[in-house]
Amino acid sequence: MENKPLYSVAATFNDVNKTLAAVQKINEAGYKNYDVHTPYPVHGLPHAMRLKSSKLGWVTLIFGFSGALFAFLFMYWVNVIDYPLIVGGKPFYQLPAYIPVMFEVTVLSAAVFTVVWMLFIIFKFPNNSHPLIDTEYMKRVSVDRFGISIQANDDLFELNKVKEFFKNLGAEEVFEIYYKIDELKDKPKIFDKKFISFLALTSIVVSAITYFVLNQLLFMSPFNWMHEQFRLNPQKATTVFKDGFGMRNPVEGTVARGYLPYPFKGKPADAEMKLVNPLIPTKQVLELGKEKYLTFCSPCHGNFGFGDSRLRGQFPNPPTLHSDRLRNMKDGGLFHIITEGQNVMPGYASQLTTDERWAIVHYIRVLQRSVNPKESDLR
Amino acid sequence: MSQDIQTFEAKPLSARFKQIAFGLLFLGLGLSVLAFLVDSHRALANYNVIFALLVSVSVGNLFLFAIEYLSGAVWSTVMRRVNEIFITFIPVVFVMGLFVLFNTHSIFHWSHEEAVKTDKLLQWKSPYLNETFFTIRYLVYFLVWGIFAFFMTKNSLKQDESKEQLLTYKNSKLSAAFIPFFAITLTFYSIDFLMSTEPHWYSTIFGVYYFSGTVLAALSVLTLAIILLHEKGYFGNILRRDHFYNLGALLFAFVNFWAYIAFSQFLLIWYANLPEETFWMIHRWEKGWEIFSFILIFGHFLIPYFSLLSQQSKSNLSRLKFMATWILIMHYVDLYWLVMPSLYKEIVFGWIEISFIILAVGIMLVLFLWRYNKIKNIVPIGDPKLKRSLEFHL
Amino acid sequence: MRTIDYTIEPPVVEGKPSLSSINEDIARPLETKPTKGWYIAISISLTMLLIGAVSLAITFIEGIGVWGLNQPVGWGFDIVNFVFWVGIGHAGTLISAILFLLRQRWRTSIARFAEAMTIFAVMCAGLFPAIHTGRPWLDGYLLPYPNQHALWVNFTSPLLWDVFAVSTYFTVSLVFWYIGLIPDLATLRDRTTNKIKKVIYSILSLGWRHSTKHWNHYEMAYLILAGFATPLVLSVHTIVSFDFAVSIMPGWHTTIFPPYFVAGAVFSGFAMVQNVLIIIRKVFKIEHIITLDTLEKMNKVMLATGMMVGYAYAMEFFIAWYSGNQIEQFVFLNRALGPYAWSYWIMVSCNVLFTQLFWFRKIRRSIPVMFVIGVLVNVGMWFERFVIVVTSLSRDYLPSSWGMYIPSIYDIGILIGSFGLFFTLIFLFIRTLPVVSIAEVKAVLPNSQPSHGGNH
Repeated sequence: MENKPLYSVAATFNDVNKTLAAVQKINEAGYKNYDVHTPYPVHGLPHAMRLKSSKLGWVTLIFGFSGALFAFLFMYWVNVIDYPLIVGGKPFYQLPAYIPVMFEVTVLSAAVFTVVWMLFIIFKFPNNSHPLIDTEYMKRVSVDRFGISIQANDDLFELNKVKEFFKNLGAEEVFEIYYKIDELKDKPKIFDKKFISFLALTSIVVSAITYFVLNQLLFMSPFNWMHEQFRLNPQKATTVFKDGFGMRNPVEGTVARGYLPYPFKGKPADAEMKLVNPLIPTKQVLELGKEKYLTFCSPCHGNFGFGDSRLRGQFPNPPTLHSDRLRNMKDGGLFHIITEGQNVMPGYASQLTTDERWAIVHYIRVLQRSVNPKESDLR
Repeated sequence: MSQDIQTFEAKPLSARFKQIAFGLLFLGLGLSVLAFLVDSHRALANYNVIFALLVSVSVGNLFLFAIEYLSGAVWSTVMRRVNEIFITFIPVVFVMGLFVLFNTHSIFHWSHEEAVKTDKLLQWKSPYLNETFFTIRYLVYFLVWGIFAFFMTKNSLKQDESKEQLLTYKNSKLSAAFIPFFAITLTFYSIDFLMSTEPHWYSTIFGVYYFSGTVLAALSVLTLAIILLHEKGYFGNILRRDHFYNLGALLFAFVNFWAYIAFSQFLLIWYANLPEETFWMIHRWEKGWEIFSFILIFGHFLIPYFSLLSQQSKSNLSRLKFMATWILIMHYVDLYWLVMPSLYKEIVFGWIEISFIILAVGIMLVLFLWRYNKIKNIVPIGDPKLKRSLEFHL
Repeated sequence: MRTIDYTIEPPVVEGKPSLSSINEDIARPLETKPTKGWYIAISISLTMLLIGAVSLAITFIEGIGVWGLNQPVGWGFDIVNFVFWVGIGHAGTLISAILFLLRQRWRTSIARFAEAMTIFAVMCAGLFPAIHTGRPWLDGYLLPYPNQHALWVNFTSPLLWDVFAVSTYFTVSLVFWYIGLIPDLATLRDRTTNKIKKVIYSILSLGWRHSTKHWNHYEMAYLILAGFATPLVLSVHTIVSFDFAVSIMPGWHTTIFPPYFVAGAVFSGFAMVQNVLIIIRKVFKIEHIITLDTLEKMNKVMLATGMMVGYAYAMEFFIAWYSGNQIEQFVFLNRALGPYAWSYWIMVSCNVLFTQLFWFRKIRRSIPVMFVIGVLVNVGMWFERFVIVVTSLSRDYLPSSWGMYIPSIYDIGILIGSFGLFFTLIFLFIRTLPVVSIAEVKAVLPNSQPSHGGNH
């Protein structure tokens, strides 16, 4: 073929000892740019080729060390500086507990970087356009032959001399290896049709998937953070109960807290007879009674129980609280009236707790006594 | 080939070696007797430590011997006779141990009757930790080790003359049988003589821990002896870089293994933080004992690790000699660290310890001299694997 | 008594095959159509996988409540299966890395397959931490990602160490396996006539051209990887053992767990590798490459590691007594005599008793018997993890907290699925990639290396 540059002349041998001997002769002849290709690593061959031993170990050491250091510093920062938490009663800085992760990260970074360095930096892989790839020579060397390739750019290279040399060394076959000229000429363009369509397709597919995942999938069960759950939320319908309501009414006879059922409903006489004021008229009780009276009772009954409230005229005036009937009525009777109401007056059971009502009763007594004091009070 | 011309007869060791050996032995004996008179308790504790060291060296080499046969290794065949020299220390070590047996009171708290009366835990352990059973177990350990050592070395020596392959086969079978017995006896030896110095403490990995140190001790003395003999020409030029590389690699591997076992034991006790276990570790981290703990971390692991990491270092003879000695010393430190803090709350290390170290070295050198003089060939000339061993390449 | 000749090196491969026949024998399954047997086998494994997939789907939809976990047994099949599969993976790394460092040449014929099994086993193992959260699509949160609430993972927890250990193990094993594959992929590239395969092999082999300058670095990288893989494999199962041993549970907190777990992992791993290799060598007719001698050596390793496991049992038992810790003593009595005693005795008989048969050479060299023992070992080792996890949890300190664990149908389904995944991957592997390392086997054939008596 015309104008194709020669890469090397390569020869195959069928015996490993012959190959080694050949390498010796090549060194003696002074060739420097050559390589030996074998289907498996042959002992003693790198030494015969005067190759220096691999320095890959240093890469491993440096990256391994960095991995360990990085892991240690990260864990230290997380546990001691950023968010110190007491875990298991241990101090924030716990070197023994850091060791396992440091070890793993060391191994990971050392191993991965060693391989990556070797493949991509030392070997400069991937390289499928090397002239030796896809040649008959390579096919032999893959199976059971040992090959030596002397490159054309060696100072002492001369095509026929090298071919003769190989024949004298006992080579089985001799090949001329050329660069693949098409590959050399064929520079990839950025706006290549295939490449652009590949980019377009990838972006469409990725966008579609992203949209689907973020806008649709994450709202479908079970990916939707348990938004839908089997429990009944308030005011949801259900088929579990006959009436279709999720919410149920309280059981018959249920009472709210603090509101015990009143046993004397509609029985004022019984209430007066049986109920006894449980509170002692202490200062606190009277103050409570006063506060509640002024809030709830004074709008109709007036501030002092005379029935002369601000609502006079707008509501039927209540009778005075200082009447004999009321002064003689027992506390239980007064309590009953406050609880159930009487005539126009509504019951205050839903607005006042029992204690508050009893306190009001005490206050009423205070008011009554102030209007109709005993002799002893006036002295 | 040069091997045909060379004989493998064991040339006598130099007079200078004899002088050093006996000198150290007598010096050591003198100093340790003095130590015994000054502070018998401490002297006996030290004696227990060097006794454990010698068990490591002798029984550890028996283990290495068995492993060679079991794995079918050939590289070590050429050096195996040196290995056997250390194995033949066992009967003497047995006699040495009797002195510990007669002085359990000074070393083992569980042998004090008054203590056992008031301590519930010691009462619970007394079916095991009592002098009678202790002695019986001691006899069993050395019976097992002695029997295997005797027959295996006998077969090896016999093979020099008879060259029968059958003897290799027999030794393989004996080696296979030995390993399970070795595991049990070495474990219980370490529990008896080392772990029970602190009778309230326990660790299921203790036997493995002592084993890891034992292999290191055996490898160190073996490496040291082989390199010194090689350098002085006793092996001629049959030993190559490849042989030494394997010794270096094994040293490296077991340094790692020791560190792994030591760290596992420490981490688990530290993490669970149970006072019934942590007190033992805490003892070794206070009142000066932390110095020894640091020495172990750096000296028993980090320094040997980085020193033997590279490929070249593993076959560098001066590096190997240095590290073998270093590791042997570190094993002594390890044993010292296991025992002494249980007996002494504050750090102790002084002339008494040095005397016993000198004694240990002296005993090993003199025993080596004595057993070396009993052998005829420095290489097992009748071993069928010998040729492959001589030609061994990595 | 049989006569062995110790003066000669036992051959790694029988029959003195030529270099090119190795190519042929190993590449053949990749270039021919699959047999009916293969289709049947993969249908079975895919069915098992399907069962697992369905069980998993139901688990994700319904929640982890469909598993048998409860209080007090909060760890059940999930962690038992995890430890089991990680253990299986260890044999592969031991064979490729540790036996390489020990220069045991008999490893060359089985290393590739064993490493592949490691990767597949670790994939099966990795399933369990991924799914046990119940919402695996949120698993990313398990990693230390930068965030504004200073929320970090607990670096001092062995469960997190597991994440690092298992992912490192997977990555490094994958890298190690891939590196070993590169020369073989190049060989296949040079051999194949199929256009598509050529493209695939060319891409995957990265342009490897068998250059000695490259072999020089390659061998160093291989040695380094083997040197790292060895402590890595020890560390992985050690860290898995830490999951249990750092706790204060009786029966779990014992210092011998790390080497005991590692020995157990190698034990079960070798049993699985041995089982699968017996089938592969027969089906692919490579009995002269994966020889009976190799299988016998593997059985010896099983015997050794099985005895290490037995040693650990004995030590735990003895120290439980020696320690005077009544709760620890109870745990061991409970294991042997309590409600789960049946699982304990399966474990002891399979791991300790049946393995002792390997003392006898006839049994070590009998394919049917060793196969059965291998299966029993795997059963026994699965039960060992079951015994450790479930007995200690079901009966710990406070009798009022005791409770039983009964696996649900979905637990079992997922276990079956993991086996399905494992075997499916193996069946796919054997038809797409060379099961034996071509380059390594060639390198140990007789007369493949130069005969020089001299020194380097």
